[in-house]
Amino acid sequence: MDPIRRGRTADRIAIADGAADSSEIAAFERDRRELLRRGFTLGGAAIAASSIPLLLSVRNAFARATGDGAVLDSAITIERVSVIAYDTVIAGGLLSPGLTRVARRFRSHEQEHATTLTTALTDLGGTPPEAPDGVGAVDDVVEGLGDVASQADVLSFLIELETATVAAYFDAHANFVEPRLLQTGASIMANEGQHLVVLRKAAGQNPIPNAFETGAE
Amino acid sequence: MDIDSFLRDPTSRRRFFRMSGLSVAGGSAMLLAACSDDTKNPVAGPDDSDLADVEILNGALDLELMAVAAYKAGAGRLSGDALQLGKAFLEQEQEHADGLAAAIRDAGGMPNRAKSSYDFPVLRSQADVLRFALELENTAIAAYIDALPKLSPGELRATSAAIITNEAEHVSLLLDALGREPVPSAFVTGRET
Repeated sequence: MDPIRRGRTADRIAIADGAADSSEIAAFERDRRELLRRGFTLGGAAIAASSIPLLLSVRNAFARATGDGAVLDSAITIERVSVIAYDTVIAGGLLSPGLTRVARRFRSHEQEHATTLTTALTDLGGTPPEAPDGVGAVDDVVEGLGDVASQADVLSFLIELETATVAAYFDAHANFVEPRLLQTGASIMANEGQHLVVLRKAAGQNPIPNAFETGAE
Repeated sequence: MDIDSFLRDPTSRRRFFRMSGLSVAGGSAMLLAACSDDTKNPVAGPDDSDLADVEILNGALDLELMAVAAYKAGAGRLSGDALQLGKAFLEQEQEHADGLAAAIRDAGGMPNRAKSSYDFPVLRSQADVLRFALELENTAIAAYIDALPKLSPGELRATSAAIITNEAEHVSLLLDALGREPVPSAFVTGRET
């Protein structure tokens, strides 16, 4: 179905931390199947289904956040997690020198996003969230960072992480209120899409599979 | 006019984009319909917001239809990987146009149609086409980002962000094809040079 015409964003998000009604469960199953069909692989094996609720719960935090402060809180966390993930893969030494330079560049972009969003949150009178707790925090977004064993694994992992980030910003755009935050969010989401292009190309994938880059196709 | 003159001359660019429903001011592009600042009118009724959405979306549709025409016009100068890119971009711009037209009809509006002709600059080589495409994609990104807060909250904003992201992906591939850094900035605004 046309992405513009399909159901409202509030109906799309899948899993709840607490009680979930049947429509949410059905939506979760649909998103889970979507993710599995997309064939996210790590070391040749499909990502464990158990990782998907974690990924979706991060999206859920964006989608359920009410008010700019709450959305910013989630966005800062996912950007900081991305910085940790890039630090980890750079230190892991599995990437070629060229791709290591790319990873360093993307890591600096994620840090710039986190810094800008933190400033926006404090400007709104909010308090920045606690720093994520090391590599374990990455597992709350996408599992498997600890299992990567090759450059292909790393690229698959980073593609999934960037895709989850795009999906989170897609959901956030239904919730941002302040015009400037909407625009900043879009410019960050677009940058994550550009990261995806480079990573997909490096992984031998179609770099632009979706005319509507929602992070969910 | 050749592409070098076009890219150098802001007056020519302004005139060109105004013809396709855009105004360009101070180096940025802005959808004409978005010039009335609806974000300062939070009490607008649903009919008013539908009307505003239709105007903004039609401005975006004009730009997408122009991009479709540009990629068709430029295809003859492309070959190899660049031609494949051009075809893929053309398909995606058409998908954006179709999606926007459907959203306009859903909001009770009438989608604009493609113009019978566009006064594109003269494109003599593959590099000319790629540089012109880069200008169009960046203009589209800036226009969508300007218009984003003026759209009704909810799905339209989210979907516009998804289109912006796809246009930014096109920008990366065009920069790469031109031998430039594909991700030059942490923030994509459409105003990068």
